[in-house]
Amino acid sequence: MNTQTSILVVDDEMGIREGCRRVLAEEGYDIDLAEDGAVGLRRVREKPYDLILVDLMMPGIGGLDLIKKIHEIDPEIIVVVITGYATIETAVEATKRGAYDYLPKPFTPEALAVLVKRGIEKRELRLEARRLYQEREQRLLELAGEKSRLRSIIGCMADGVLVTNLERQLVLWNASAVRMLKLSGTDEPGKAMDHYIRNRALIESLEQVLNSKDDGFSMISQEIRADEQGAVLMAQMAPVRDERGRLLGAVTVIRDITKLKEVEKIKSQFVSMVAHELRSPLAAIEGWLGVVLSGEAGGDEEQRRTWLLRAKERANSLLALVKDLLEINKIEAGKVAQKMESVQVIDVVGKIVEFFKPEAERQHVSLQMNPSVPLPAIQADVQDMEKLFTNLVSNAIKYNVENGSVTIETSLDPHFVGIHVRDTGIGIAPADLPRIFDDFFRVETKRTDGIGGTGLGLTIAKKIVDSHFGHIEVESRPDKGSTFSVYLPCKK
Amino acid sequence: MKPRGKILLVDDDPDFLEIHKVVLHNHGYDVLTATSGREGLERVRAEMPDLVILDLMMEKHDAGFSFSKTVKTDPLFRKIPILMVTSVAEATGFRFSLEEDGYWMKTDDFLEKPVSPEVLLERVAKLLRQREEGH
Repeated sequence: MNTQTSILVVDDEMGIREGCRRVLAEEGYDIDLAEDGAVGLRRVREKPYDLILVDLMMPGIGGLDLIKKIHEIDPEIIVVVITGYATIETAVEATKRGAYDYLPKPFTPEALAVLVKRGIEKRELRLEARRLYQEREQRLLELAGEKSRLRSIIGCMADGVLVTNLERQLVLWNASAVRMLKLSGTDEPGKAMDHYIRNRALIESLEQVLNSKDDGFSMISQEIRADEQGAVLMAQMAPVRDERGRLLGAVTVIRDITKLKEVEKIKSQFVSMVAHELRSPLAAIEGWLGVVLSGEAGGDEEQRRTWLLRAKERANSLLALVKDLLEINKIEAGKVAQKMESVQVIDVVGKIVEFFKPEAERQHVSLQMNPSVPLPAIQADVQDMEKLFTNLVSNAIKYNVENGSVTIETSLDPHFVGIHVRDTGIGIAPADLPRIFDDFFRVETKRTDGIGGTGLGLTIAKKIVDSHFGHIEVESRPDKGSTFSVYLPCKK
Repeated sequence: MKPRGKILLVDDDPDFLEIHKVVLHNHGYDVLTATSGREGLERVRAEMPDLVILDLMMEKHDAGFSFSKTVKTDPLFRKIPILMVTSVAEATGFRFSLEEDGYWMKTDDFLEKPVSPEVLLERVAKLLRQREEGH
C-alpha cells in the first residue's frame, strides 16, 4: 500500500499500550493509542485504520461490542483481540463476531509483530477483493446501462425493429414497429411471434431466415403492407449470429416507404405525360414531312413550302416545350440554383411590361403599370421573378380580346407584397380553375383555338412562387377577365 | 370522277386533320373533319360517312373510346368501320391490341401515330373493301 499502514491499540492498561507502540513503531507502522472503547471508536471515525488491537476486558464499551462497532464503520478493518484471560470461549466468541485472530497476554514482541504482519497482509487481500468486487459491480452496472441505452436508441428509431429468437418468440421490438405493423398484444411479452404479427408474408420470410442452414445467408428485403389500406413497408430481415456464427434469431428492420412510392408514381405519371406531349408535335412534324416526301404535292412548290412551314411551327412549339421542361427541372432541383437577393420586384415587372409593349400593340391590347401601393424590396431570385412575370403577362396578352387591357397593380400587407396582373380577356370557366396550375393543362375552348402554348407556363409560375414561400391566386370570370395575384413574403 | 368514299377524320390536332385530309383527298376520297368527339358524332349523324378515322386522345382521354362505343352500338351506324389512330400506346404505358381489347374498344382497325401516307391509304382501302363485301 502506498500510504503508511496505521494501527490503533485500544487497551486500558498503559503498559500494554506503550509496549505495543514500541514494538510496532519499530516495524515502521503508524501507531495511535486509545485508553478505552469510546476513545477508540472516536479515533476510528476520524482516521481509516488498517488494523486495531482490542483488549477484550475494558471498562465502558467492552471488546466484543467494540469489534461490532468498528466493523459498522469499516468491515474490512482487521481486529486482533488481546486477552488476559485467554479462554477459548471468549476468543472463539470474538472471532465469531468478526475478530481476525487473538493474542493471549502476556505475549512476546515477536508474537505481536508476526500476528500484526499477518493481519496487515490479510487486510491488503481484503481490500484487493473489495476493489475487484466493486469493479465487477461497476462493470455489471455499465452493462445494464449499455443495454438500457441500446433500448432507448432502438425505442427512438423511426424505423421499426423486431428481434425474434429461434423459439419464434418476439424478444425485442420498438414503438415504430408496433405502429407500422399494427402489432397487437405487445403488453404480454414472451409469446410466439404470430401472436403479435398479423402479416403472413412477414412471418413466412422470418421462418425462411430462421430455418436457413446456410452460413452465407445474409438478408431478405421485401415490400409488405400492414393491412389492405395500410402503409407500404420495406422489411429487411437478417439472421442474428453469435461470435461463432451460430444462428440465434432474426432481426427485422421496417421502413415506411409510402411517400417514396407516391413520389415514384407521380414521377412516372409525369414522365408519361411528358412523353405524350413530346410525341404529339413530333408525330405532326413527321406527318408533314411524310406528305412532302411522298410527293402528295405533285409539282406544287408553294404547297410543299406551306406544309414545311407547318412542320417548322410544330418544331418551334417542341423547342418551347423542352425549354419549359428544363425550366421546371431547374426549379425542382431546388435552392442550389437560386440566388436570393434584395429585389425591387415592381422594377422587374416594369421591364417585362416594356418588353411586351410591342406584342401587346400587335394584339391591340393596352398594357399598363398601375402600382397603386409602393412596395418594399424583397428577397428573391431576379431570374425567377423575370420568368414568373413573363409567363403571367404573356398569358394576359395572349388570352385577351381585341381592344382589351392588361393592368399591373400592387398591394401590401404586414407579411406579403402583392402583385396583381389583371386582364380583360376571355376568362376561365369555374370548372377549369382548379386545374390551371396542373402540368400540361390547357383550357380548350373555341376561343383558345389557335393560341399556342406548352401547358407549363402556370406550372412554372406556381413552382417559382412556391420556391419563394409565397402563394399565387387566380380570380376569373368567363368573358370578363382574369386576375393573377402573386404574394411574396417581405420583412418589414 | 366519282369520289372513292366519304371519310370522317376526328382528331384534336389540326395538323393531323390536315395531313390526313391532304393524303386522302389527293387519292380521291371526300374528307370531312371534326376536332372533338361530340362534333364527330354530329357529323356521323348528318353525313353518314363510309369510314371514320379517329384519334383516341381527344379532349378527355377516353373520348375516343366513348365515340366508338356510341357509333358501334347504334344500329344505323354500326356498319361504319372505325380506324383508330393513336399515340397513347407506348407513352402512357397502357398498351392494347385488337385481339385483347377489340371487344370493348369496338373499332375495326388500329394504327399508331405517326402514320405514313402509304399505310393510311392501304388500311382505308382495305376497310372500305371489307365493308363492300359485308353488304
